Amino acid sequence: MKNNIPEFLLKRPSSDSFEQGRGRIRMPFIEKGLYHLADVIKTGYVQWETAARDNFFQRIDARIKVLFLLFYVIIVSLKRDLWSEILIAVFFFVLTVLSRLDILNLYKRGFFLAFIFGFLIALPSALNVITRGDIILQIVHLSRPYSFWIYQIPKEIGFTREGVHGVMMLTSRVMNSLTLSFLVLNTTPFSEIMRALKVLKVPDSFLMIITLSYKYIFIFAKTAQDMHLAKKSRLVRQVSNSEARNWIAGRMAFMLKKTRIRCEEVFKAMLGRGFSDNIKLPTFKKLRAVDWFSGAAFFLFGVLFLWI
Amino acid sequence: MQEIICLEKVSYSYFDKIPAICDVSLGIKEGERFAIIGSNGSGKSTLLQIMSGLIHPCSGKTFFKGHEVSESSLRVSAFLKFFRERVGYIFQDSDVQLFCPTVLDELMYGPLQLGLSEKDALDRTFEVMQMLNIENLKSRPSYMLSGGEKKRVAIGSVLTMNPEVLIFDEPTSGLDPRTQVFLLELIVALNGAGKTIVIATHDLSLVGELETRVAVLSEEHRIEKIGGPDTILADEELLLKVNLIHEHVHFHGQSAHSHLHSHFLFHRHQ
Repeated sequence: MKNNIPEFLLKRPSSDSFEQGRGRIRMPFIEKGLYHLADVIKTGYVQWETAARDNFFQRIDARIKVLFLLFYVIIVSLKRDLWSEILIAVFFFVLTVLSRLDILNLYKRGFFLAFIFGFLIALPSALNVITRGDIILQIVHLSRPYSFWIYQIPKEIGFTREGVHGVMMLTSRVMNSLTLSFLVLNTTPFSEIMRALKVLKVPDSFLMIITLSYKYIFIFAKTAQDMHLAKKSRLVRQVSNSEARNWIAGRMAFMLKKTRIRCEEVFKAMLGRGFSDNIKLPTFKKLRAVDWFSGAAFFLFGVLFLWI
Repeated sequence: MQEIICLEKVSYSYFDKIPAICDVSLGIKEGERFAIIGSNGSGKSTLLQIMSGLIHPCSGKTFFKGHEVSESSLRVSAFLKFFRERVGYIFQDSDVQLFCPTVLDELMYGPLQLGLSEKDALDRTFEVMQMLNIENLKSRPSYMLSGGEKKRVAIGSVLTMNPEVLIFDEPTSGLDPRTQVFLLELIVALNGAGKTIVIATHDLSLVGELETRVAVLSEEHRIEKIGGPDTILADEELLLKVNLIHEHVHFHGQSAHSHLHSHFLFHRHQ
């Protein structure tokens, strides 16, 4: 073997130091993207870890929690005044505190998503161009009103009381629904949520597909991260955006191939363990007294929120 | 001999929660063969990735030839070039390492990155292909290679950059015996050519064959001991503690024996 070693491999670099230059390398977009991909794994891990703790909401059976989630999403959507929404939000907050979740992180995500998908999207509807009513904040004053086809633009354009109420209602509904979903997701292992969906008569084959897909997201994220590290280990300069795009395109093709191969392997493994067309998932244990009691309490609170 | 890689009180944890490496300090001398051994999940791969500047420790410092290797220092283009052309990393899973359309492109990628002319890069590529006996694979895409061929191409893709340090993560895992022997001979030859070799493994026979200096990682992710191969491999108590050998009970006729057992070295009846 020694004689086969090429001549260039016997040469050492000329210097043990490098020229101190000012050239700095910007973090390429691919690296930023991969950091976010790593967040997927981190989120999954945090969810699994918080769900495994032994606190108030974590102890309750997943079936009760899934029904609780559905029941309260309906209640949140049915309520028409802001105070009821605030009261429900306080109730969710108490449950979050009792479950010892990371309140700051959970509400930060909730507020961010509610701001984008509730507030920002609905904000234009608060203008009197869309929702008629008393203007509480004038924005533009035109010389005269304009009419165009079925649209009418009034002389004064501004936010109306009714419009702002509508936006606030939508934002609070989105916020409450998100908090509720995060509460259930962070206190219940994903596999339990899947099995609990059986009580809603979701077909087993569908549950199996979701479970496999969920698992694959983590495998995918890990493989993508590893591929990035492998590339990083051989990079000696700044990568241009077009090079990064080319690399991503190539890797996507590779991932597609790998996914197909893995899919076949998983299917063979399933066949090897007796899989037939009938998917049978394990059934649940009987509900305990504490589950019945919690379920009844949530139901009563829900009825109370509907009544007030 | 001067230390080429030096770690000072390095710790790393995944998601800021799962510890992977705790307070590790070690130095690797230029031109030496060094092995990090430990059971699954002890943090061997993480340690190698820290050494090669692919991930950065949560606390502690890493040095290469006296220069600190950090996220910030690797953003300086001159240092990035200096470091990457001197440190080559061979991943355990060759699949993730091979990202070019064909084997030829794969081997040429590194030298072209370093700024070599296409002719010089091609010359290096053919010399390495000849050494690794993969000339016949040059136009093949990586997904049409066997496990052993992928490993050879992955090594070749790093060798064409002519690094001073070669870091191997579980080099022999999943390879057939002939490829394993080929790889061992290659590592010895490369070391003979002046390359510093660092390997992570739980294969004790590899440590014995390569006669490396050894750092033993415990299941608590700490360095238990650093020493020569003979000292480490003779310390059965230590190897049992770090889960690299195990107590084995079996029957000879009607009588039961128990002895320390490794699939590579220890099979002595008491």
